Amino acid sequence: MEAIWLYQFRLIVIGDSTVGKSCLIRRFTEGRFAQVSDPTVGVDFFSRLVEIEPGKRIKLQIWDTAGQERFRSITRAYYRNSVGGLLLFDITNRRSFQNVHKWLEETKVHVQPYQIVFVLVGHKCDLDTQRQVTRHEAEKVAAGYGMKYIETSARDAINVEKAFTDLTREIYELVKKGEITIQEGWEGVKSGFVPNVVHSSEEVVKSDRRCLC
Amino acid sequence: MSENDGVKNMATVEEISSFENGNSGPNKQAQSADPSATQESESECIAPTRKRPETKPPSEPVTSVLPDEGPKSVDKDPVSKQVPQTGWGYWGNWGKSLLSSASATVATVGQGISNVIEKAETSLGIPSPTEISSETQNIGDTNVKAGSVYKEDGNTSPMGAALGVFSTISTAVQSTGKSVITGGLDALEFIGKKTMDVIAEGDPGFKKTKGLMNRNSTLSQVLREAKDKEELRTANEVTMDTEKKAHYGLLFDEFQGLSHLEALEMLSRESEIKVKSLTNSLSGEELENIKLDLEQIKEAFSLAELSDEDDDEKKEDEDFTTEITELFSQLHVSTRPDKLTNARNTVHEWIRMSSSKPLTEEEEERKQIELENSEEEDKKTIEDIHAFAIQSLAELTAYSIEMFHKTAALILHGQKQEITALKRSKTLSQMTILLCKELSSMSKEFATCLTAVGVKEKADVLNPLITGVFLEASNSASYVQDAFQLLLPVLEISLIQSQIESSQSK
Repeated sequence: MEAIWLYQFRLIVIGDSTVGKSCLIRRFTEGRFAQVSDPTVGVDFFSRLVEIEPGKRIKLQIWDTAGQERFRSITRAYYRNSVGGLLLFDITNRRSFQNVHKWLEETKVHVQPYQIVFVLVGHKCDLDTQRQVTRHEAEKVAAGYGMKYIETSARDAINVEKAFTDLTREIYELVKKGEITIQEGWEGVKSGFVPNVVHSSEEVVKSDRRCLC
Repeated sequence: MSENDGVKNMATVEEISSFENGNSGPNKQAQSADPSATQESESECIAPTRKRPETKPPSEPVTSVLPDEGPKSVDKDPVSKQVPQTGWGYWGNWGKSLLSSASATVATVGQGISNVIEKAETSLGIPSPTEISSETQNIGDTNVKAGSVYKEDGNTSPMGAALGVFSTISTAVQSTGKSVITGGLDALEFIGKKTMDVIAEGDPGFKKTKGLMNRNSTLSQVLREAKDKEELRTANEVTMDTEKKAHYGLLFDEFQGLSHLEALEMLSRESEIKVKSLTNSLSGEELENIKLDLEQIKEAFSLAELSDEDDDEKKEDEDFTTEITELFSQLHVSTRPDKLTNARNTVHEWIRMSSSKPLTEEEEERKQIELENSEEEDKKTIEDIHAFAIQSLAELTAYSIEMFHKTAALILHGQKQEITALKRSKTLSQMTILLCKELSSMSKEFATCLTAVGVKEKADVLNPLITGVFLEASNSASYVQDAFQLLLPVLEISLIQSQIESSQSK
């Protein structure tokens, strides 16, 4: 168990039902692809550490939300305490792409007064032959909202790592610049236990050695 | 351990006494006449789960338990006359007095901590953790007797007449007496609370359990604080291996127990608010009908039927999986407790693999030779077992809470099912009992395992580990029960909504 991390970010994963949110997260956190999976009930929780720079780890708490409409009142409650989000659609399902606007509208309402850094994810890119959304139009929509766009596949493990780490980096930069700050009563970003404890103990060891010399 | 000085011990005593004070609050709540009043805040919401033999009149001052009181003096103890005592509660009570004497002695004389632990363990009537698994059978027999004797007492109890809720509690406690396992849990919880401070001084990793004493915060807050503290500790200190591996709070979080608990608390709170506003909007006959039904649901949540299936106890291991799956299917929610059952089966497999069977002398000798030949044998150390035990308890508790969370979500937002809220409440209550039993029996298996493997270890090495397992098992059971109580408003709102719907359709 690795308890040392610089920050903890809470990320939320949203998008229409069956676009593959849970599969993407499980590929990222468990490293495997679950062939069959039941629809998510309410919200599920995952976590993983990401090393963004050598020695600098970020703990990601990932909230996997149900895409089904009936759980919307539950999932809505989770926007507010998220710093980042992956907005998924299925590239083989045009409707899920069209709903991207709706998702963004909804988050906008519920995230106040905070904001979420989103990345748009075109999922199931292994099914290129059944594609109903071109990369170009997805990129255009993403740019319109100031989001990055990335295409992923949980089945073939394409860009899964990148989708999460890029988003984490983006948030990390904003935190470093002070554009996102840790706030009381907001769980989006939390400060971890800085690994300088490790450094200091290393220093102690070093200085000890010197003393011995 | 021996370098713990008098100052620390003084602090311990203070903490114990402050805990007593703090705890009398919830007890007061539980015994107050209006059960609905217990739902007013988070902390009070948790209170009803503390229906253990330690329940005592709030007025009873802690100091009335005299240090020199022994088992024989219990009859004269005013508490025992008023409060239902099961077999476990019975010795629990004098154990308590001995314990306070133990800590008091320490405060004044400044004995070493290890003595206290030993005293605590022996005086509690849990003679030594190593014996616990073998002895339960005997105690069980006495329990039945104690339970029935008490039954008569309970009926004549003046308290029972005075307080409406009391009868429910006493049934719960009565039946507890019949159950070895649940009785065992009471004992465990009791030791847990009483000794944790004492033990925490000498045994790292328990410290966070102090959080339990503060019942003013929500369960997840308690656990989160505990976890944060542990994180801080692990980050700051390079500590012993056992300590690192066996942080219950950290592990519980690792298995997403905290998140699910928070999510469950959220649903519970929302439901509670809705229940209030809906009942306020009702009046007349409609309100009366609903109130009656709500009472029934509350009843189901009091875990009163504790004894019913204890009679056919000692079902074999494998049954847990079947039973829990069966119960879960009775809930009619569209999910399965797979995570829980898988984890539990893994744990049992592990125990089976690593517990060494009792050896005959002959075998012992052979074993000795074997050991000498292959020192590197894939043999689990007691530390390994302890770490795995703590991890397993954290895992099963986390998954149990996840299951409750999912159930709540589905009851609130799932497809309509042909099942009443009352039926679901009863099933959930049975599940809670089953889970607690499982945690308890698992801890016993781990204890047996530790005892078998650590047969050559010194008691002061082995005992804290065993006590630790029992402690966390008892805490786990408390968490599960507390989480179960969070489901009450969820069931209540589902009942009210279905009644309103049906009356509208008429």
